Amino acid sequence: MTTVYRPGSLDEFWDMREKYGEALVFAGGTDLFVKLRALNKYPPVLIGLAGVKELQSIEELSGAVFIGAHATHTRLLSHPRIREHFPVLASALRSLGSPPIRNMGTIGGNICTASPAGDVLPPLYVLGAQVELRKKDGSRRVPIREFILGPGTTALTDGELLSGVWLKKEDSFTIHHFEKVGQRKALAIAVASLAALVTTTETGIVEKARFAWGSVGPTVVTSQDAEDALVGLPLGLKALQSIVPIVERSVSPIDDVRASAAYRKALAGNLVVRLAGRGREPLRA
Amino acid sequence: MKEPENGEIERAGYDIGKTAHRADAYAKVTGREKYAADYYDGEFLWAGVKRAGVPHAALTGIHAEDARALPGVIAVLTHHDIPGENRIGIIRKNQPVLADTRIRHSGEAVALVLAENRETLKDALNRITLDYEALPGVFSVEEALKETSPRIHEDNPEGNVVKAVAVETGDSAKAFNECDAVVEGVFEVPAQEHAYLETESGWAYQGEDGTYVIVASTQTPFRDCFEIAPVLGIDPAGIRVIAPYLGGAFGGKDGITVQCLLALAVLHSRGRPVKMWWDREESFLAGVKRLSAKMHYRLGAKNDGEFHALECRLYYDGGAYSPLGGEIMTLGAEHAGCAYRIPNVSIKGWCVYTNNPVGGPFRGFGVPQVTAAMEQMVDMAAQRLGIDPLAIRLKNAVRKGDRNCLGVTLTNSTGAVECLEKMSSHPLWKGRAAWKEEAGPFKVRGVGVACMAHAMGYPPMVADEARAKIELTVEGKIRVYAGVVDMGQGNASTYAQIAGYVLGQDASAMELVLPDTARTLPSGSSSASRTTYTYGNALIEAARSLEKAIIKAACERVPGSVAEGFLFLPGKVRHTPTGRELLLEELAAFMDDSARVTTGYFKMPVVREKLDAIYMGPHLIFSYGAHLVYVEVDELTGQVDVARYLAVTDAGRVINPQVFAQQIEGAVAQGMGYALTEDFKVRKGRIVTRDLSTYIIPTSMDIPAIDSVPVEIDEETGPFGLKGAGEIGMSGPLPAIANAVSDACGTRVFRAPMTGEAVYGALIRKKEEGTVL
Repeated sequence: MTTVYRPGSLDEFWDMREKYGEALVFAGGTDLFVKLRALNKYPPVLIGLAGVKELQSIEELSGAVFIGAHATHTRLLSHPRIREHFPVLASALRSLGSPPIRNMGTIGGNICTASPAGDVLPPLYVLGAQVELRKKDGSRRVPIREFILGPGTTALTDGELLSGVWLKKEDSFTIHHFEKVGQRKALAIAVASLAALVTTTETGIVEKARFAWGSVGPTVVTSQDAEDALVGLPLGLKALQSIVPIVERSVSPIDDVRASAAYRKALAGNLVVRLAGRGREPLRA
Repeated sequence: MKEPENGEIERAGYDIGKTAHRADAYAKVTGREKYAADYYDGEFLWAGVKRAGVPHAALTGIHAEDARALPGVIAVLTHHDIPGENRIGIIRKNQPVLADTRIRHSGEAVALVLAENRETLKDALNRITLDYEALPGVFSVEEALKETSPRIHEDNPEGNVVKAVAVETGDSAKAFNECDAVVEGVFEVPAQEHAYLETESGWAYQGEDGTYVIVASTQTPFRDCFEIAPVLGIDPAGIRVIAPYLGGAFGGKDGITVQCLLALAVLHSRGRPVKMWWDREESFLAGVKRLSAKMHYRLGAKNDGEFHALECRLYYDGGAYSPLGGEIMTLGAEHAGCAYRIPNVSIKGWCVYTNNPVGGPFRGFGVPQVTAAMEQMVDMAAQRLGIDPLAIRLKNAVRKGDRNCLGVTLTNSTGAVECLEKMSSHPLWKGRAAWKEEAGPFKVRGVGVACMAHAMGYPPMVADEARAKIELTVEGKIRVYAGVVDMGQGNASTYAQIAGYVLGQDASAMELVLPDTARTLPSGSSSASRTTYTYGNALIEAARSLEKAIIKAACERVPGSVAEGFLFLPGKVRHTPTGRELLLEELAAFMDDSARVTTGYFKMPVVREKLDAIYMGPHLIFSYGAHLVYVEVDELTGQVDVARYLAVTDAGRVINPQVFAQQIEGAVAQGMGYALTEDFKVRKGRIVTRDLSTYIIPTSMDIPAIDSVPVEIDEETGPFGLKGAGEIGMSGPLPAIANAVSDACGTRVFRAPMTGEAVYGALIRKKEEGTVL
């Protein structure tokens, strides 16, 4: 028998956390419950965060947006600030799971699951997201790339809770691009994905670029080399193809039931090439 | 939503060819309809199965002490507890209910546990351990056919061959030399999981009269009695099987799943009812799969496109047991040349045992496999000869009076040509070139067609018959006793429509009794595209008898009247000369109980020539189809997007257009999964795709708009001209999409499913080799 507690505030949460040291904490539960069912091992105590009021907010604060850890994907998708400032994130959210999963799943949960295939992660990497980690008596902010350490492992320490995500408004990028290759059009786990932010001059010369790939390494993969190599070149087929070898060197995919490593490597490069078809028009999700 | 008042749905009397709402629609949409596992109440026990987990082994011991010691465990049963025969099988009785000496596949049932609740059941199953000596396994058709490979069924005189068939017509060896073009191909199609909404389940108890009552999700209630009874060592009359509406079956419940286990459980349940309900993982592990196949094809044609010779070598993997594997392969062999006239044919087929999951029926039986191959061969021949793919099909498609590949004369409705002609005049065919030109960056577009045939009913060696029963109840309702299961395809509703039409009644006057071996009459299985054809014909006869009986009663009530003077109206009959109306309820009261119940019988006609052309004999009546698909292939990922789909079908006259369209759309969607994403992966006898997170069925987002167009040619033997529509749509999508992908990419993927990775691989190979097929 498993008892599920649903604290209404962080104060209540800290009390429960102390009382039930062995408890597992969950947000939407869309990953955890699948895992528990597969293992057929249910812990005696679960703590659900759905009622914690401090984790629900989505606020704009001086040039940045704070997203509470328990903001569901559906809420984020319908939020005007998210769609306006972070179309790359909105686009990724739209590709995530299915409507029921987006209704339950949260941004905090997707981050803490720390799957290399987590759909919101590549956008958060290119957007330079910071995660806010709280303890009973304090908090810290950590860049997402330092928070996620490996598949399923994070820098979360004992007694810490991921309380939210900070995103700086990124209106300087003219192209927000996200593409996921899955085995079907919905309810698909990424075989490979790419989030890209690019700014070009009036004449189409790349001024800055940020790339992050999902499902092609133990964590989300970025490549400063590939980004640097593109700067100064006209955004087009030739320039994008020229950085494919750098991309392919940067990724370290594996074979699994969904796809081979070789296919994933090819996709990592090809998803960048896709930008050639996008022209200069800003891509709004 | 407001619940409709009784009868509000359908005021006017039923009509043929007009959509009538399905009798099960409201209950299903609101979640009230009960499936087999939902028929429970009171104190009941859960039953569950310990499965082997190894693909091939000698079983030396079963340790159940720990499980038996667990509080809440009522019994743990093994093969020692089977009072009768521990072997089941429709054609070949070689599958144990609970393994005794051998384990032949990972999902093999070894022990049966009865427990107070599901948690205890799970715990108990985990506590059972097995002693076994692993045996070398056989995991492919090639291995199975090797002389030196282990034998999976020691006593099978054919080694690992379940069944082999050969068809020779004309002189194919000579004929190939007379051809102007010969194309060759080797095609592979995967095993396929049914993935029904409702997994295998049932509910059983012993009735007060001692009868064992089994409410099961089954397509074959009557046949099940004859499989269950010998296991219990009793007479089949002591078994009653009830089949409510099923949440999908598609062939996967054509035969025994939970039935024997439930019956066995009831013997040890201390008088309590027992429930069994496989979860998705167990359904994947233990349920039957569509047989994977490897097919070698050679097709020869003359310069004008006329097919002259065909050679096929078909290899089907039947898995560890093959309840109908040999018959599935045989139907494949019968359809190997699809809907074409080919005078010189050599077809050889094998179905073999392996240590893979058990193969069994799945919508289309063995036909989708061969159609996938043949219809790609047709395109390859067309390309070689520079002929349009639709033109070459029109040139060779069978017409009424032609002989098919088995040499059997097609004496009944034969609409292949009409389907192709209908397609040729459709806007999607005419607009294909313009659509292809509009592909965006990194996209290539292609259009593909396929033409199919699908036999209706059982082969001649098995009587395809039905017995309908219909009653005028004392309340004045018309009650149809449907002996054929409605597994979701809506045939029960069509029965109400047929009987209602004959008797001038609307939905409010109709009642349905779903299959129950104690109440309905034996009418065969819900399978083989036969359910509405065979039962519908029997029902028309029963309804006409009841019409006569009611009129006879009415004549007695209206002095001086004659039978011709009566008109049936909803709930009543009117004597037109006098305008006098008599309620059905009123008439029922004046009728003998025996007069209020009538029956009808029908047996499907069979061929009169070439009965020995193939094992169990060839079929007489076929449905036909022609499919057209638009696809867009992404050159950067290889992913195939199906943009539009047209399905033209000759399934005779349509009784209910909505139910018909649902059958075609459902089959096409299932066929698209077969073509593009569904890959039931098994490695060394162990399932790799163990649930719906890795076995990828299409979602509504993956299925485009499907135009379904019937070509309503009258089938004179059918109920109101109907032929079977359940399976014909399944065979088209794979070859049509394969041909479209080839059209788009200039290269062909010979293996399904055509995943993004597979198509991308083909694109890269083409680029590297610079070859065009």
